[in-house]
Amino acid sequence: MNISYQLPMAADSNSTDILAIANSPFLWVCAIGVFLVIVVQSVIYMKAASKAAPHIGMTPQELKTSFRAGAISAIGPSLAVVMVAVALLTIFGTPAVLVRIGLIGSVSYETAAAAIAAKTAGAELGGPTYTQAVFGLALAAMSLGGAMWMIATLVLTPLLKKGDSALRKVNPAIMMVVPGAAMVAAFMVLGIGELPKSWIHVVAFLSSAGIMAILMVIANKVKRPWIKEWALGIAIILSLAITYFATRL
Amino acid sequence: MIQATEMHQALGAFDKTTSRWGRITMIIGLIFSLSAPAYLVFFAGLDIEIAGIFAAFGALAAVFGVIWIVEPLTYFPILGASSMYQAFMIGNISNKLLPAAMIAQATIGVKPGTRKGELSSVAAICGAATVHLISLFIFVGLLGTWLVSVIPADIIQTVQLYILPTVMGAVVVQAIVSQKAPRAAIIALAVSIIVVLIAKLYTPFGLFSTAVAVIATATLAWFLRDKKTLGTPEDTTNEELPEGPVY
Repeated sequence: MNISYQLPMAADSNSTDILAIANSPFLWVCAIGVFLVIVVQSVIYMKAASKAAPHIGMTPQELKTSFRAGAISAIGPSLAVVMVAVALLTIFGTPAVLVRIGLIGSVSYETAAAAIAAKTAGAELGGPTYTQAVFGLALAAMSLGGAMWMIATLVLTPLLKKGDSALRKVNPAIMMVVPGAAMVAAFMVLGIGELPKSWIHVVAFLSSAGIMAILMVIANKVKRPWIKEWALGIAIILSLAITYFATRL
Repeated sequence: MIQATEMHQALGAFDKTTSRWGRITMIIGLIFSLSAPAYLVFFAGLDIEIAGIFAAFGALAAVFGVIWIVEPLTYFPILGASSMYQAFMIGNISNKLLPAAMIAQATIGVKPGTRKGELSSVAAICGAATVHLISLFIFVGLLGTWLVSVIPADIIQTVQLYILPTVMGAVVVQAIVSQKAPRAAIIALAVSIIVVLIAKLYTPFGLFSTAVAVIATATLAWFLRDKKTLGTPEDTTNEELPEGPVY
């Protein structure tokens, strides 16, 4: 396999050097665009909030304290996301990781989406069949999937705000059972589907699942919620290290 | 004493500004996020067929279609209208934005669901977004890109080859724990093993395996649900939400 990730080359559908295309300037422009949009949105929201606050008996100090509390509480979770994001940089390239995993989406959905998309093209995520064209297809699928969440939000929020009780009360029992089951099934079948490929795939899957399970038990035992935040990143990095040593055996 | 009408007007203005600009910024964000793949598909000289994108999107819709609709419905009562446009663009709602909002409300001693609570959570999400953007930019955008350029090629190769089983192993355990639905997890495990075995014996089935597993698990989980706690729709309150999807 030829990984010349440092030298950007022209697009080549069959090349597995996906970073040449994944780090292209236009993708960076789009990623920075999403960053700036969130900055602008936050500024507009803060201004609107400070304007409304005094009228409902809220002091500017209370608003400032809220902003600061939100900022401080986000430090841990943000760094935990950073850790996961860095692990995926060689799969999706920096701009796509920033937008899809860091912002709009999350590592679980986006990795699953990319794997499902690659499958429809008869390829695999990250392997020798993961060419520039497959990366393009995967990014298109991830972005369209993420767009559906945003479109659902844009369509449903005004309806819910109007107090559309029919929508609000769509059988809560179904809402409790079906999405959760669908989500677990999607991740489960994608993970189990990797197992027949080689014993190293088995090591990768089981070590990651095992580390996660141990961390979850510890987090509940010692009542330290931050362990849950960091668990995903720790499990991914540690099991990648274990897998790396397994390939050396 | 604050005048009721004055309060009403001020909040009306807040709602108007946030829902208007919330929507506008979200649509622009949507355009930016779709431009990246559009460029790769149409202008980068890659051989990507539109039909292939439809097929991939169809496969995704079969797997995540329900979640696309349900997640906004789940979060609306917790976030309120104005924060919806923030949350679904910034992402990491359950693990970062909700805790940020709750801590902020607790710090200044207001209750969620009140108007003061809503303003407090809007401010908290802005604060969380600020920290998140800065840490992503520095540690992923700058340091991460540099890190990838110095990591030896054989490690990069390991990461690329085994990233999917690694991510899914941890994520599936996380999903099971956060959903607190052991029954669905066992059904998912059984269905997944059967589906993977069938795909192994009959390769063309592999294309549909994910969708089949998801639809079969969701259906079975519904019919085999614990009818004592999740009996009829009427006696289930929406009060006790699960920890929330990992989105």
